Amino acid sequence: MEGILFPKGVVEDREGLKEYQARGGYTALTKALKGSADDVINIISDAGLRGHGGAGFPTGKKWQFTREAPELPRYLVMNGGEDEPGSHKDRVLLENLPHLVIEGTVLGAYAIGAAKAYLYINAKYEAAIKSVNDALGEARTAGYWGEKVLGSSYDLDIEIVAAPHNYVAGEDTAVLEVIEGKQPLPRQKPPFPVTVGLFGKPTSVNNVETLANVPRILLKGADWYRGFGTKDCPGTMLFSLNETEDVKRPGIYELPFGTPLRYLIEVCGGGLKDGKKIKAIMPGSPSSAYLPADKIDTPLEPNAMRDAGSMLGCGVVHIVREGDSIVDELVRITGFFAAESCGQCAACRMETNTLSMLMTKVQQGQGNAAILEQFGKVLAFNKGKGFCNLIAMPGPPIESALKLFPDDFQALAKTA
Amino acid sequence: MPVSQSCLVCQNIDCKSRGSEQLAAELQQKIAAKGLTDVDVKPYMCFGACQEGPNVVIYPEKNWYAHVKSEDLDDIVAHLEGGPHVQRLDTIDSSLKELIYQLLDTGAF
Repeated sequence: MEGILFPKGVVEDREGLKEYQARGGYTALTKALKGSADDVINIISDAGLRGHGGAGFPTGKKWQFTREAPELPRYLVMNGGEDEPGSHKDRVLLENLPHLVIEGTVLGAYAIGAAKAYLYINAKYEAAIKSVNDALGEARTAGYWGEKVLGSSYDLDIEIVAAPHNYVAGEDTAVLEVIEGKQPLPRQKPPFPVTVGLFGKPTSVNNVETLANVPRILLKGADWYRGFGTKDCPGTMLFSLNETEDVKRPGIYELPFGTPLRYLIEVCGGGLKDGKKIKAIMPGSPSSAYLPADKIDTPLEPNAMRDAGSMLGCGVVHIVREGDSIVDELVRITGFFAAESCGQCAACRMETNTLSMLMTKVQQGQGNAAILEQFGKVLAFNKGKGFCNLIAMPGPPIESALKLFPDDFQALAKTA
Repeated sequence: MPVSQSCLVCQNIDCKSRGSEQLAAELQQKIAAKGLTDVDVKPYMCFGACQEGPNVVIYPEKNWYAHVKSEDLDDIVAHLEGGPHVQRLDTIDSSLKELIYQLLDTGAF
């Protein structure tokens, strides 16, 4: 089936301006500029496009809130911080389809009436930054952004900002801090960026993949987009199966929402190498709950994943193989969150450090019943605290592992 | 002589920025000067009360002193010698105390 983002079905080389124009590139923008910004928002809302950065907020609604905020100027921020471990989908889009992303950004900016758009890109992604920078030059010459976009009355400035590559630097309010020249520290919400965002002005922060969906929706219509995916969650999503997962064909796959997880692992990925068996699957690594192997037919769709006890996150699918130690994994995961907690919220600092230390004790064979009880207590105590969501992230992996694989913990306790 | 009480002094970034390293060293000296050989001073990673730091928890007796400054140390040492509990430094919310004491009771730290 033809995808939305990758119509050729595979990720190939970088697409230049001429190739992009040859398949209808920038016609959505030409069309949109002849109509109103509300038309753009209405089509995106009718299509049911949701944010692809992990939270899944309806994009049309976010744009409408930003547009309705009275303060001026407004800003659009493309979030390509992509600090989720194992996620490279945004990098691939930026490197290979820079014009698709730029057109989506200009359309989003037009929809909210932004004076300026910032392209926030992980500083490690040198090739992506170069690709986007080159494409911006071509697009400006062609009149797709700058003063009087395509001869209309709309002016738009665009600037690339290199993003620091620590985990919280991808959180939307931390993104705003970095663009303002400050440290990547999340802000307390509310207020939300749609009303008080960049430099205190209304701002829409949108993930790269979200914006990349916009041009084709506007070109082909909301009904066309709704032909992909499910009724509640139309469209496609990029799923990452990395080499570390030991599948035969690792890669980034664009699949309609609702595709069974099994299809991604067995058909796209070719299953596990050497006939190994699956012990558990973490659909939205590293902050989602583990699913037992028998839930492999769960649809890749947010509601179905929630009902199954987990979540999609930004689509980095992690496979635990038979024989892998769940405790070793959790030591790595809790250590990651302890290291990536920015430290400005006391509760998060204590929680992430304590969980990491407790898990290390379990790994070292000190995991008695009293210690195992502490995980839930520490998580419950800190629930709802902290400025950003990082504080909630170690919970699902730990609690699901304790529930699904108690023997893994017991075995370590007995060897002590 | 076996250790009967430990003074756990938080050494995470926030408490450190409020002088907890120096504080731990001073406390160690004062304890040694008093000849309290059954009391030791140990670093702790984080008690979750950064805004009230530096924090010192005396364990296993379970007394938590917050906002500890150099000039408070004589009173804390006096308490370790059997003197009165230093009420003015006892400001931490009881639910946080309970959580941290339970963690310490597991013996994992």
